[in-house]
Amino acid sequence: MQIKFKVNGEAREIEVTPFHRLLDLLREDLGLTGVKEGCGKGECGACSVIMNGRLIPSCLVPAPQADGAEIITIEGLAEGNSLHPLQEAFIETGAVQCGFCIPGMIMAGKNLLDENPSPNEKEVRTALSGNICRCTGYTKIIEAVMLAADKMDSKGSGSDE
Amino acid sequence: MKQENKQTISGRDFEKYFQVKNLKKALEIKAKYEDQILLIAGATDVLVENYEKLHEIKNWLDLSRVKELKFLEVKEDKLILGPLMTHYELKNSQRLKQKLPLLAKAAAAVGSPQIRAKGTIGGNICTSSPAGDTLSALLALDASFKLQSKIDSRLVKAEDFFLAPKRNGLKDNELLTQIEIPLYPEESLSFWAKIGRRKALVISTLNLALVLYFEQGLIKRAGVAVGSAAPTPIRLREVEELMLGKSLAELNYRELGEEVKKRVSPIDDIRGTKEYRENVVRDTMVNALKSIEKRREGGKNAD
Repeated sequence: MQIKFKVNGEAREIEVTPFHRLLDLLREDLGLTGVKEGCGKGECGACSVIMNGRLIPSCLVPAPQADGAEIITIEGLAEGNSLHPLQEAFIETGAVQCGFCIPGMIMAGKNLLDENPSPNEKEVRTALSGNICRCTGYTKIIEAVMLAADKMDSKGSGSDE
Repeated sequence: MKQENKQTISGRDFEKYFQVKNLKKALEIKAKYEDQILLIAGATDVLVENYEKLHEIKNWLDLSRVKELKFLEVKEDKLILGPLMTHYELKNSQRLKQKLPLLAKAAAAVGSPQIRAKGTIGGNICTSSPAGDTLSALLALDASFKLQSKIDSRLVKAEDFFLAPKRNGLKDNELLTQIEIPLYPEESLSFWAKIGRRKALVISTLNLALVLYFEQGLIKRAGVAVGSAAPTPIRLREVEELMLGKSLAELNYRELGEEVKKRVSPIDDIRGTKEYRENVVRDTMVNALKSIEKRREGGKNAD
């Protein structure tokens, strides 16, 4: 089966089977290895990507369900050499240790900030509740998302002036 | 890709993956393949259950693009739902929060943000796990399920639908096509709680739904249901009847908690022991009644 979809703004066409998962397509066929496989069962959030505007676990999407979809992965956030404010904030706060969960965390953070540009801490915690990190203890990750919200907010108001 | 899932691709592989666009076609395929086809919608249960053996599945019926199965409408005295409504959509629906906050609250407790974005209420019902988070809410709210085949359809009450762990009354040629929940005119207050080891991504150790409908201070109708405390989610009609015609002040909360405890039959498993569940279901019932009492006094409708 041939499916067509958009990944990080680029149209792709790919041959798939029903036992391919979206995660497999992204990692194996398209080489987007920023998408991580942790548990493979939707419990860890490492494989989270944004599909049609919603944060979803790419390990639980049969490939044919991605037909026609628009997908954003961690690879789609930076613009050229400039990092996305979320990526900058994760570096500045020291929110990354081993790094395996971070692409999923950042996508969860992006999904939140797309819907709610100035979340409170509780909202950040809820938004990240489907992502597990075994290194950091979460505190700095939550700080990073809050910092990114500030950065993006000040950018926004700057352009208004 | 997992090595186990690696298979050569041939043009034939897709003959048996049906991504249908309308219900008529879905019902035709279900009539033809009966129990020899795997149904998916959100796929969040199916892909976990078949982890590393997806290639063994021969026939797939993917309902995710059947638009006519995704709706939420208020029709006179009932709210009707399409089974493809996701937990995310239910949790955020203003209309649902206003009409049936109990169900919106249960939907908000399912899995994680990621799972709620994909998982559907129809999937939660048809998987029929004793721990399914929305099921106790549906039972307490007196929901019915429309089960449709190519030739006819029938309406089955939620309490008659669940038969055993992950077993239900769907026939091999039927699909769940609608969920109907009565909207009663009386003022109502509800409570839903999930007990688990953490807040997110946890399968209920126990969940309890309570809804009380008041007329002139007296309980006119009641719904009590629990999940993860018996082989299926169960509605406790006998406990409901003990509350009818009384005011909250006339109820003995502790005794009602004991009545709930008497009627559950939990097991020991990795999420909790039988004894733990029996005691917690009693205490949760007491908390549910206290919570409703507090909100009734405060004049607040919000849960």
